[in-house]
Amino acid sequence: MSAFTGITVDREALIANYATVAEQVAPAGVIAVVKANGYGHGAVEAARAFVDAGAEWLGVADIDEGIALRRAGIDEGVRILAWLHAPDEDFRRAAQWDITPAVSSVSQLAAAADSEVPAVHVCVDTGLSRNGAVESEWAELFDTAGRLLRGGARTRVEGLMSHLSNASRADDLDQDAALQRALDGLAANGIVPDMVHLAASAASIAVPETRHDVARVGLALYGLSPFPDRTSADLGLRPAMRVTAAVLRTIPVRAGDGVSYGYTWRAEADTRLAIIGLGYADGFDRALGNHVSVRIGDRLFPVVGRVAMNAMHVDIGDADVRVGDEAVLWGDPASGDPAVEDWAAAIGTINYEVVARVGRSVERRTT
Amino acid sequence: MNAPLRRAEIDLDAYRANLDLVRDWMDPVEVMAIMKADAYGHGLEPIALAAVDAGIRWIGVLTVPAALRLRAIGVGEDVHLFTWQHDPALDFRDAIDSAVDLGVSNAAELQRVIDAVDQRPARVHLGVDSGLHRDGATADAWPELVSLAVAAQRAGRIVVVAAYTHLAETSDDDDSAAVAVFDRAVETAEDLGLDVPMEHVAASLAGLERKEFRKDMVRMGGNLFGIPGADGVSAADLGLEPVMTLTASVAKTKRVPVDTGVSYDYTYRTATETTLALVPVGYADGVPRLAQGRVEVAIGGKRYPIAGRVAMDQFLVDVGDDEVQVGDTVVLFGTGERDELTVLEWAAALDTIGEEIVCRIGSRVPRVYEGHDVEGRVGEYLRGEP
Repeated sequence: MSAFTGITVDREALIANYATVAEQVAPAGVIAVVKANGYGHGAVEAARAFVDAGAEWLGVADIDEGIALRRAGIDEGVRILAWLHAPDEDFRRAAQWDITPAVSSVSQLAAAADSEVPAVHVCVDTGLSRNGAVESEWAELFDTAGRLLRGGARTRVEGLMSHLSNASRADDLDQDAALQRALDGLAANGIVPDMVHLAASAASIAVPETRHDVARVGLALYGLSPFPDRTSADLGLRPAMRVTAAVLRTIPVRAGDGVSYGYTWRAEADTRLAIIGLGYADGFDRALGNHVSVRIGDRLFPVVGRVAMNAMHVDIGDADVRVGDEAVLWGDPASGDPAVEDWAAAIGTINYEVVARVGRSVERRTT
Repeated sequence: MNAPLRRAEIDLDAYRANLDLVRDWMDPVEVMAIMKADAYGHGLEPIALAAVDAGIRWIGVLTVPAALRLRAIGVGEDVHLFTWQHDPALDFRDAIDSAVDLGVSNAAELQRVIDAVDQRPARVHLGVDSGLHRDGATADAWPELVSLAVAAQRAGRIVVVAAYTHLAETSDDDDSAAVAVFDRAVETAEDLGLDVPMEHVAASLAGLERKEFRKDMVRMGGNLFGIPGADGVSAADLGLEPVMTLTASVAKTKRVPVDTGVSYDYTYRTATETTLALVPVGYADGVPRLAQGRVEVAIGGKRYPIAGRVAMDQFLVDVGDDEVQVGDTVVLFGTGERDELTVLEWAAALDTIGEEIVCRIGSRVPRVYEGHDVEGRVGEYLRGEP
C-alpha cells in the first residue's frame, strides 16, 4: 500500500470552520471566498462544503471563476460575487450565469445595467488603493446609480463593499469611516444597500466594528490564521489542507556527498535519503530545501538540498522508512503534522501564498 | 475579448526556432525534448505536437500519465516518450501497451515493470545515480539491477533501450566525476553481459558546454523554452528566444494624492500625487509576494516597479503622470521586445532560475498559442480538429 501523493482536503474541517466563523461574526453573515482555486484547496469542493455548512454567498475574484462554479453545479440558490473584471467586460456572461458583479466605476456600472444584471455591489476604495472607486469618483458613480434607480433600470445596487489594508486597527477604522461616507453618498441618491461588507478574515476577527452586514472570509474558512502571532488552534480553526507524498525511493549516501542541483547540502555522515515526487513546478519553492521538515511516521525529517522541479530529498538517517511510506509536508499541527506557517516562514512569506500556489498538477481529494 | 485580465502568450515559432538551433548545435547527436511539468508551464500537448511537427522523435515527460496524455492525442509510437519518475502504486501495464519508455532506478522497480508485462516487452532505460541522488541506482545497487535486466531481456520481457543519468551541474569537476561514475556503471553492465545500445547523460546546460558528455542523446528542456541555465548567459547571447510572454491588462487606474498608502500594510506610500494602475495578476498566478521592490513591469514601453504588496490576485504600479489607460497591455516578462524584463532577469531578481518562474504561472492564466506552427498538427489540435 503506497501513500497518496497530493492534497487531501478535510471537508469536515471546512464545515466546522465555517460554523466557527459564522458564529463569531453573527449577526453579520459570511461570504465564503473561494477565489484562486479555493486558496489552493479546490474551488468546487470547498464551495460545496461551505454551501453545505450554510453559506448563501460565495466570493470569487473574476467572473470566469464564478462560471466554473456554476458549471460544476453550484446552483442559483447560492449567490456568487465577483469583483475583478477585464477592461472590456460587458457583464453579459455575469447575467447569463447569475454572477453578481461588484462594480468600481461608472463604465462598469453602466455596462452591468446594459446587460440587465439584476444586482450589483458597488466597490469603493477606502484606503487600500486597489480596485475600488476612489473617493473623488464617488459623486459621479453614486449619481449614476441613483439615476439608474430612478430610471427604472432592472439593475439594483444591492451591496456596498470595500477592502481593508490590515495596516493597523486605526487605519482599518479610518477606512470604516470612509465607508460610512460612501453609504451617506449613496443614501443621498436614494440608495440604501442591503449588504454592506468590508472586513475579510483578519478584521472580521480583530476589528469587530468592521463586520457590518456580512464578512468576506477566505483564509479562516480553510482553517488558517491571518495573524502571525496566533495559530489556527488559538482561533478555534482546523487547517483543512494536508499535503502528503509517497516515498518514491530511498538512497544511501556517504559522508561528504552533495545532494541535488548545486549540491547546496552535503551529508555530514553516512545517511539515507528519501525522494518524494513534489517539486517547485507543483508550488513548493526551490528555496525551501534545507529550511523545512516533513513528517514520516511520528518523526520529523529535514528536506535537504535544492527542491527540484518535480522532486525533493529528505534526510532519513537510519530510520525505518520504506518506499511507499507517507511523508507529510504540512497538515494540522494539532495532530502532529508540520504547519504550513513553517513552510511560509522558511521562504519569507505568508500562509496565504503557500497554499494558493500549490499547482493544479497536484492531485486533490476530499475526505 | 480583446483585453483579457491575464494571459501567457506561447510563441510556437520561438519554440521551433530554439529546437532547430539546438538540434543544429548537437548534430549528429539526438535531442530529446524535455516537457515535464506540463512543458515547463507552457502546456504539454501543444508543445509536444509542435515538436513532433518539427521532426522530434524523443520526448521526455517524467511520468507515465503525462506520456499517456500524448499517446491519447495521437502522438504515435514512432515518437519515443521517456518517463522516469513513477509513483510506487503505478500499474505499468498501460505504459507498456503504449510503448512508453520507462526509466527504472532499482531492481524492485524493474521487477514491478517485468511483472506488468503481458504481450509486448517493456522498453526500459536503466538509471545510474552518479551523484545527484535523486533517481538511478547507486554503485552498490547497480549490479543487481543490471543482472535482473539481463535475465528479463533474455526472457523477452523487456528491451533495454539505454542507460542514463542526471547530472547535478554543480561544477565542471563534479560533473566530470559524475560522468566517470556513469561510465564505470556502463562498463560494469557490459561485464555482466548487457549490451547498452544507447547512453544519455547531459541535460540543457552540460549538453551545451560539455561536448564530451553528449553521448548518444542530449535531454534538452530549458534551452528549448529560451531559458538557458548558465550563469550570466542570456537567451539572446545564445540565439535562443524566450517562448513565454506573460501579459495582463490594466484593470483600473486611479489618481491618488501624495502619501497614499498602497496595498496591504501600506508598505508603499506615494511620494507625490500620482496615478496607480492595477495589474490583475497575483501570487496565486505565480507572481511571488517577494517580487515587490525587485521586478519591474512594462507598460507602453516603459518600466514601472511594483508598488506595495503583491496580493493573491493583483498588484499595483505607480505610473506617475504617464498616460496609462484601462485596457493597456502590461508585459510582466517576455522576450524584451516591448522593453520588458526577460524571464531570466525576473529569475535573477528573485534569486531563482527561469524554470521556477515559468513553471509557477498558474492555471488561472490562459495559455494563448501563437506562431506558424498552428498550421500543423498542433494547429489541428488547438482548433479541436481530429
